Amino acid sequence: MKVFEINGTTLTLALFTDVTNSKELLDAMQAGTLEPEVAFLNASLIPDVFPVLAAAYKTQISKSRDSLTTRTLHSELVYNYSGSKHITESLKRCGISDSSSYVLAARFNASPDETKAIEKLVHGEEINLEELGGRADQALIQKHFKITGPELTISSIGDTITCRIAARDAL
Amino acid sequence: MEIKTDSNDGSLVLIKQGAEARVFESTFVGRRSIVKERFSKKYRHPSLDSKLTLKRLNAEARCMTKARRLAVSTPVLYAVDPILHTLTFEYVEGRSVKDILLEIGSSGDGSKQLKDIAMQIGVAIGKLHDGGLIHGDLTTSNMLVRSSTNELVLIDFGLSFTSTIPEDKAVDLYVLERALLSMHSSCGNVMEQILASYRKTSKQWSSTSNKLAQVRQRGRKRTMVG
Repeated sequence: MKVFEINGTTLTLALFTDVTNSKELLDAMQAGTLEPEVAFLNASLIPDVFPVLAAAYKTQISKSRDSLTTRTLHSELVYNYSGSKHITESLKRCGISDSSSYVLAARFNASPDETKAIEKLVHGEEINLEELGGRADQALIQKHFKITGPELTISSIGDTITCRIAARDAL
Repeated sequence: MEIKTDSNDGSLVLIKQGAEARVFESTFVGRRSIVKERFSKKYRHPSLDSKLTLKRLNAEARCMTKARRLAVSTPVLYAVDPILHTLTFEYVEGRSVKDILLEIGSSGDGSKQLKDIAMQIGVAIGKLHDGGLIHGDLTTSNMLVRSSTNELVLIDFGLSFTSTIPEDKAVDLYVLERALLSMHSSCGNVMEQILASYRKTSKQWSSTSNKLAQVRQRGRKRTMVG
């Protein structure tokens, strides 16, 4: 569990492995009954926290301008992280599925109570965010973000994803 | 013009002001960053102005990411703001090629470093051109050398566009040649070294080279007669 400051708001991140109740979480999220509202990201697509922060920054900007593309603040974070404009596909790939066991949970402006609630909500083992790098699925990331070999010779995979996230609306 | 600092974490410190944009230093979610703001031109009609500004902002972001895909190092793009007309980049720690060359020119030593930089410039431009990307403003002040890795980083894609025509590539090289000639003549013939490594990198060297010879004779602008 770690808190990051973004643009005057905070983003709380918690990384879980061996999650057993992803189906329930997904159902609750889709029904809109998840309490508190949390964003669940497919952590194998995340090699570093920085791209998540960049996506969160983007989310906060659209929130402050009332121009969210998706229905909730937290689904917007998942959508922004995907670097694609296809909402359904983004939520499917970068969000969680029935069988996900490796999940990054994120919440904006979480109060201490909500933070505890998140830990209870997810049935799994919480691990340190530093483990993201070693556990990321590089092949899957390259496929999803359409990253080719030459680009990785000049930049880290996290920075490459950040570029995709930032430039999405300009393409 | 009013600058809204609240859209960024840190305070904005003006570094440079040009004709098209202002460049600030700031921080972006904990990392040191550069913010480039394209301001509006009051002499243009407002609707045309916002359209042009936005189009150029997006084009710059697009060209930078395209350059990265071609394995040419550029600063990491952190954010694009279409409302405030700003781009946020990574802050590259290092010096500009302009400063390095001026130092080499006045001190007279550093030919090894010069050779390395010229080689990297040639390779970078060769990759861009073969991928169909024209930088549009190749000067030594738009090239940085990252201090940690000595790697060349190209910046300012504000005048970039995509083209595969030899003419555009030749003019791109010609602009660099003129810039080197006027700023860095004391460094000797750097352009020759750049072109040597460009030739090795680019598969379309022969057509570009023919065109470059023509462009050298007539200058950057084409004569439009007939």
